[in-house]
Amino acid sequence: MSTTLSTSQARVRVPRAAWEAVERARLTVVPRGTARAPRAPFAVLVIALLAAGVVGLLMFNTHMQQVSFTATSLQNRADALTAQEQSLSMQLAHLRDPQVLAQRARKLGMVAPPEPAFIRLSDGKVVGDPVVATPADAVRIQPFPVSKPPALNPPPRVVRVPAPTAGSVNPGNTGAASTNSGPATGRKGSTTRTAGLGATH
Amino acid sequence: MTYQRRERRSLRGASTVRLRAALVVITMVLSVFGVRLFELQGLDPQAYAAKAASMGLVRAVLPAARGEILDRNGQPLAESVAGEMVVADPTRTKAHAEAIAKVLARRLHLDYFDVLDRLTMPNTRFQYIARRVPSTLATSVVDSLTARGYEGLATRRDPLRVYPDKDVAANLLGFLNAEGQPAAGLEQTFQNELAGKDGSETYEVGDGNKIPLGENSEVAPVNGKDVRLTIDRDVQWYAQRVLRTAVHNARADSGAAIALDSRTGEVLALADYPTFDANHGSNAPEGDWGSRALSNVYEPGSVEKVLTTSALINEGLVGPRTRITVPGELRIQDRTIHDYWPHGRIHLTLAGVIALSSNIGTVLAARAIGAHKLAGYLHAFGLGQRTDVGVPGESPGILSPPGQWTPIRKANIAFGQGVSVNALQMAAAVNTLANKGEYVSPSIVEGRATTADGQVVGTDVTTRHRVVSRATAAKEARMMEMVVTQGKGTAPAAGIAGYRVAGKTGTAQEVGGACNCYAGGGYDVSFAGFAPADNPRFTVYVVIKHPRVGGAGGGATAGPVFRQILDYLLQKYAVPPTGTRPAHLPVNW
Repeated sequence: MSTTLSTSQARVRVPRAAWEAVERARLTVVPRGTARAPRAPFAVLVIALLAAGVVGLLMFNTHMQQVSFTATSLQNRADALTAQEQSLSMQLAHLRDPQVLAQRARKLGMVAPPEPAFIRLSDGKVVGDPVVATPADAVRIQPFPVSKPPALNPPPRVVRVPAPTAGSVNPGNTGAASTNSGPATGRKGSTTRTAGLGATH
Repeated sequence: MTYQRRERRSLRGASTVRLRAALVVITMVLSVFGVRLFELQGLDPQAYAAKAASMGLVRAVLPAARGEILDRNGQPLAESVAGEMVVADPTRTKAHAEAIAKVLARRLHLDYFDVLDRLTMPNTRFQYIARRVPSTLATSVVDSLTARGYEGLATRRDPLRVYPDKDVAANLLGFLNAEGQPAAGLEQTFQNELAGKDGSETYEVGDGNKIPLGENSEVAPVNGKDVRLTIDRDVQWYAQRVLRTAVHNARADSGAAIALDSRTGEVLALADYPTFDANHGSNAPEGDWGSRALSNVYEPGSVEKVLTTSALINEGLVGPRTRITVPGELRIQDRTIHDYWPHGRIHLTLAGVIALSSNIGTVLAARAIGAHKLAGYLHAFGLGQRTDVGVPGESPGILSPPGQWTPIRKANIAFGQGVSVNALQMAAAVNTLANKGEYVSPSIVEGRATTADGQVVGTDVTTRHRVVSRATAAKEARMMEMVVTQGKGTAPAAGIAGYRVAGKTGTAQEVGGACNCYAGGGYDVSFAGFAPADNPRFTVYVVIKHPRVGGAGGGATAGPVFRQILDYLLQKYAVPPTGTRPAHLPVNW
C-alpha cells in the first residue's frame, strides 16, 4: 500500500522534459514487428484434432451400439437355447419317470418276478428260488378310476312304462316321452333319457 | 498528454461497459438456470424424477434359481427349470391393450381385466403380466403376438418348480403354491437353504437394447442350495403303487409304508396314501399335503410285542423257548383280555406267543418286568419322541410316564395298546432289532441341512445307542421268523421263498367314534419286519388305517405290501439269500 503510494508520488514528481524522454525510451525498449508464427497451420491442427475427436467419439458410440445389438441378439439366442435344453431335459425326465418306464415295460408284457433269484458268477450257481413270473404277479401301476361325486352322478331314474301293446308307439318314442315328463333340465335331462331308454330294454 | 490520458480513460471505460454487459448477460442466464433449477427441484421433483425414470429406465428382479431336491442317486424329485415371466411395456401395449389382453388371458389362463389394467398402467415401462410360465409356452405366446404386430411384450427368466415324478414322494416334498411360496413338506422346512436370494438390475433401454454407458447397475442373485434325500425314487414309486392298491382294495382310510436301510437308518421310501400330484398341489385337499406317516399317531398293536419281549429277553427273564401256559382269557382289574382267536388253555413257548400273536401270553410274560424298566426300554426304542427327520408336522406320539401305569394299562402297553406312535417311530423301533440291538435315528436328508427352525438334520447327525444286546436281537429275529413260517405263524404270505424274513403282524383297535373309545373305532392293521433275518439289510413297516373289508388283518392286508416292497428292495439292491438254515423254534409244548 505504502509502496504504491510512493511510486505514484514519484511519477508525479518527474519533470515534464524528462517525461517525453521516458516515454520515448519506453517505446524503443519494446521490439517492433516481432516475427509471428503463421496462424493457418495451428488452426488447421486444432480443427483437425476437434474433427478427429468428434468423429472418433461418434464411431466409438456407434460401435458400442453395434456391440449392444449383437449382445442383445446373442443373449436372445442363448435364452432360446437354454429354453430348448430345458424342454429337452424335461422330456428326458418324463421318459425317466418310473411310472412311464413301468407302463412301457408293462406294454412289452413284462412283470417283476415274484421271488428274487441270482446267478453267482463265480461258480454259476443259482441263489434263491427262481419262479416263473405270471400276469398274476403284476402290480397295479395305474390309478384306480375315480368315482364321480354324487352331484355329477345322480342315481338313474327308472321310469316304468306299460308294456307296449302291438301297434302302439315304438320304444324310442317312449324314451322321449319319459324325458319330457321328467322335471329335470340340462345334464340331468340326459341322464333321465338314458335311464328311460334303459328301462325300456 | 491530457489527450493521452483521456484516451486511456475512454479505453478503460469501454472495457468496463463490456464487462458490465457480460455480467448482465451472465446474470440473466444464471437466473434462468436458477429459476429452472427451482422449478425442477423445488416445485414438483417427484413428477420430474418419475418422468425421467420412465424414459427408458428399466428395473427388474433377477430371480435366484431355487435349489433342487434330489433322491439318493441324484435324480431330481423337485427341480427348477427355465420358466419365464411375461412382462409388458405399457407405453407400447396401451394402444392394442384389449386385443393383447384377450390372447394373454386365454392362453396363459389369466384374469382378463387384471391383464388389461397392467397393459394400460400409466407412467411406467415395466409391468409383470404372468410369472413362472413354462418357457416354451411363454415364448410362443409372445412370439405369436409380436408376429401379429402387437409390440411391447417380452419374456424374462423366471425359474419354475416342477416335480417330474408327480405324486412320487409328494407328501414328503410338499410343493410351491401359485405365488411361489412353499406350502408344505420339505420345501417349507428347507426354505432357507433352497430359496437363495433374488438379485436386481436397473438399466436403460432404447428400442429393446440396453444403452451402453447408460445407467446400469446389477446385484447378482444368489442361487439356492440343493437338498439331497436318502429316498430312492424307484423304491418310493413302487412302495406308493403297492400301498395304493392295498389301501384301495381294503377300502381303508389311509396307509403308510416305510423302508429303512437297517444299518444306517436311512429312509429309502416313505409312502403315504392318499397322496397328490405335487405339480398341482393347491388342487389337492389340504389334509393330504403332509405325511400321515409322521403326523398321525395310532396305537401300534401287536407289532409292539417284539419290543416288549426283547426287553424281557435282554433282562434275562425269558428266552424264546420259555414255556407259557395261556388261558382262554385273562382278567386284570375290571377288564378281560382276549386273544384274537378263541381258545381254551393252551401251551405256547415265547416264540409261539410271537408267532401266533397272543395278547394273553405277552401280558403273562411281561409280568416279570417292572413298569419303569419296560418304559425305559420303550423310550430307548424311540417311542414318545419325535424322530426329527425334518418333515414338518411330526407328532411325538404318547408314552405315558410309568408312574401312571395301572396294571391294566401296563398289560395293554405290553401288547401295543394304550401307547401311541407315528409310523416312522415304529419303523425305527423295529429297525433297532434289525440293526443288532442298536437304535439308529432315522434320517431323510443325505448329509446335513438346517431346517427353518434352525435344527440340523441329516445322515451326518445320526445318533446311535444300544438298546438290547446283539444276542437278544438275534433271538428276537429268530422268533420273528416263525411269524412268516408256513403252518406256524400268523403271516405266511409275508415270507419270500429262499430268504429268511423276520416279521410281526399288528392289528390294533383304533380309538374313535363319538365315545372316543375303542368301541367307536375300527382297526389299524400293520406289519413290520426285516430281511435277511440273520444279517438284516432292509426294514419295512406298513400300516393301513381302518380297512373295511372282512378278514382284514396285519397278516392278510399289510403283510403282502410288506412282502412286495421287501422283494423289490432285495432285487434292486441285489441282496442274495444268506443261505443259512431258517430258524426252527417250537411254538407250543
